[in-house]
Amino acid sequence: MHPTTLMYTSSLLLMFAVLLYPLLVTFTSLPLNNDWASSHAKTAVKSAFLISLAPLSLFLSTGMEAVTSSWTWMVTTTLDITLSFKFDHYSIIFIPIALYVTWSILEFATWYMHSDPLMNRFFKYLLTFLVAMLILVSANNLFQLFIGWEGVGIMSFLLIGWWHGRADANTAALQAVLYNRVGDIGLILGMAWLATNVNSWDIQQMFILSKDLDMTLPLLGLILAATGKSAQFGLHPWLPAAMEGPTPVSALLHSSTMVVAGIFLLIRMSPLMENNQTALTLCLCLGALTTMFTATCALTQNDIKKIVAFSTSSQLGLMMVTIGLNQPQLAFLHICTHAFFKAMLFLCSGSVIHSLNDEQDIRKMGGLHHLAPFTSSCLTVGSLALTGTPFLAGFFSKDAIIEALNTSHVNAWALTLTLIATSFTAIYSLRVIFFVTMGTPRFLPLSPINENNPAVINPLKRLAWGSIFGGLLVMLNINLFKTPVLTMPAELKLAALAVSILGLLTALELATLTSKQFKVTPLRTPHHFSTSLGFVPAIIHRQIPQLSLLLGQKIASQMVDQTWLEKTGPKAIANATTPLASATSNMQQGLIKTYLTLFLMTLVLVTLISAT
Amino acid sequence: MAGVGFQRWVRTLSKGKISGISGLLPACRSGEILTYFPINIGEIAAAAKKYNIRVEDYKPIADNGEGYGDYPQLPDRSQQDRDPAYQWDHPDLRRNWNEPMHWDFDMFIRNRVDTSPTVVPWSTMCKQLFGFVGFMLFMFYLGDKFPAYQPVGPKQFPYNNLHLERGGSPDVEPEEVKNYEI
Repeated sequence: MHPTTLMYTSSLLLMFAVLLYPLLVTFTSLPLNNDWASSHAKTAVKSAFLISLAPLSLFLSTGMEAVTSSWTWMVTTTLDITLSFKFDHYSIIFIPIALYVTWSILEFATWYMHSDPLMNRFFKYLLTFLVAMLILVSANNLFQLFIGWEGVGIMSFLLIGWWHGRADANTAALQAVLYNRVGDIGLILGMAWLATNVNSWDIQQMFILSKDLDMTLPLLGLILAATGKSAQFGLHPWLPAAMEGPTPVSALLHSSTMVVAGIFLLIRMSPLMENNQTALTLCLCLGALTTMFTATCALTQNDIKKIVAFSTSSQLGLMMVTIGLNQPQLAFLHICTHAFFKAMLFLCSGSVIHSLNDEQDIRKMGGLHHLAPFTSSCLTVGSLALTGTPFLAGFFSKDAIIEALNTSHVNAWALTLTLIATSFTAIYSLRVIFFVTMGTPRFLPLSPINENNPAVINPLKRLAWGSIFGGLLVMLNINLFKTPVLTMPAELKLAALAVSILGLLTALELATLTSKQFKVTPLRTPHHFSTSLGFVPAIIHRQIPQLSLLLGQKIASQMVDQTWLEKTGPKAIANATTPLASATSNMQQGLIKTYLTLFLMTLVLVTLISAT
Repeated sequence: MAGVGFQRWVRTLSKGKISGISGLLPACRSGEILTYFPINIGEIAAAAKKYNIRVEDYKPIADNGEGYGDYPQLPDRSQQDRDPAYQWDHPDLRRNWNEPMHWDFDMFIRNRVDTSPTVVPWSTMCKQLFGFVGFMLFMFYLGDKFPAYQPVGPKQFPYNNLHLERGGSPDVEPEEVKNYEI
């Protein structure tokens, strides 16, 4: 084998080994030392990141991609499954970014979870999640992807329900599992269709063999899978509920890595979707609806983590819109840049929450830019990157998406909704900054405000560098497959910026109203709609479980006995025969008139029958 | 051991109260679990005492042949609806010891159905949500009918519409194609 290929594939497999080693150590019966979390887990992730930079630099300098098939798992006459890893430009760029973000989050978690007695287990869960995510991202066949897919789902459940003594956390974990399961139905449907019609789960083989087939059904299955995993409208309530978990979990799983798995699946399968207009339109409309709906919900939330969660959901909708525009690479670009600033926003929220003694309500924060200047600066930089401020990370991906949207032959309502959502992004971002960092403090005086800990500062610093330069670095080194439209009227070019500035000015105006004693009464109907998250949890989480559980209980306990004993069994026979018996016995009462009437009737009947 | 248990079971069956395998249960022997629908005031009082409810509050589930026996009809309120600040015996379950359990208690735990009052009435919520979704679907349909796009024209080619490149003979004079107007 050529030395470059050898170095490429072996460094990536070494990266897996480095990540698996701390996990395997925990399976022995030896007790872990107290700082296993920082000495082993965090170091493993840091080392894996540094190892993964080697293949990244090989890819950037030579354009090298590789498919590594290590071990034949099972071979049948029609289907064979091998352990194969696809290190193409998607996985080669995503893996270092995911490892960089995870390294920062793990370092932050050594401070955040310091008082937790089971911190080692927490880190073990995070590492297991990371390994599952990397398996998902580097999978070359759908079976391996499914292993990673389920792995991240299970780890999400365990991590959201970390504080399992809290009933709300258990409910949230259950919600995550159930909604993901509904999405898994779609993935399994897609896999089954492909196995029966194309006889392969291998990505390259599927693309070639499905050229002339009608792929609508499996694509709908894959879109359903993405809807579940990436919290698109309809299967979205689990994502804000997942904020019950610790902040490092929210930062890693529910902003940067796990929730983009659905979008990543669609990006991987994008050659199948290119020619299917139904699937593309569905992605576009679903993504536009998601981004607008969740941005609307984010406007009136008061929990800082919920605002960031809805922001994540809105950006995921934007990624779905991009896939609907047949621009998977732009969606991937947005995944990469989004990971940096969203993880940073969550870590800033975590720093603020811990500093204010676990206060999460933004109405009880304020003035933190004097008291926690570094955190506030990072919060501001992250929010600016999120809104697409020119030349920060988010700008390169978000502006490219909006430009592609404006210059495509596209559903006008989807375009409108996406632009509205972009302005809403600016509004709720300013709301967070205004309530958290500006103004006067609204919290108790004796709050343990301390950001002066390297375990807090260093991760935030690293992610801030990523939020500022990440977009530029990725954009400079990536080769776009589809030629972007570069000539367009100035209004379209500046549309994203104009809409964001409009949102910002509106939010500033609303914010300054509070200092002018202007009694702003919000319109109650839309305010309730937004605060109650569109009434989706209230309706869906009550009606459907109640119906199914009640019906299940009734059928299992009452209706089976009632049916077999009363409606069809002994009592039914009794109810049927009693009228017959009473009618017969009423006739046989010894009255001569009755008997004579019967004789006459029989005679008439016989005469009529014999006459015909 | 088994013989002793068998003899006890036969004796319980012969008393005529409980039939079948449930006679093996210890509680059956003293008639503690489900008995028949209460008819007279004595049975109602006994049932209320059994379920730890006041006689005034006790109301059996209607006898529709569903086999509830004398189990009380408790209000359909979930555990989430109960006061979180009250000092319950089991604070996480929001329940006191020996409290009568709803027949569907496993549906009404805090992780399942929540019956706590909503900000707006149910009908308003349904109308607003489904109205919103319906409006969105209608607007998407309209947006599909009237899409947004940049104005485009037909492609123009130089060299007299690429006469030679398209296989035209060099001897034949091509017709002049002017793609501009002055």
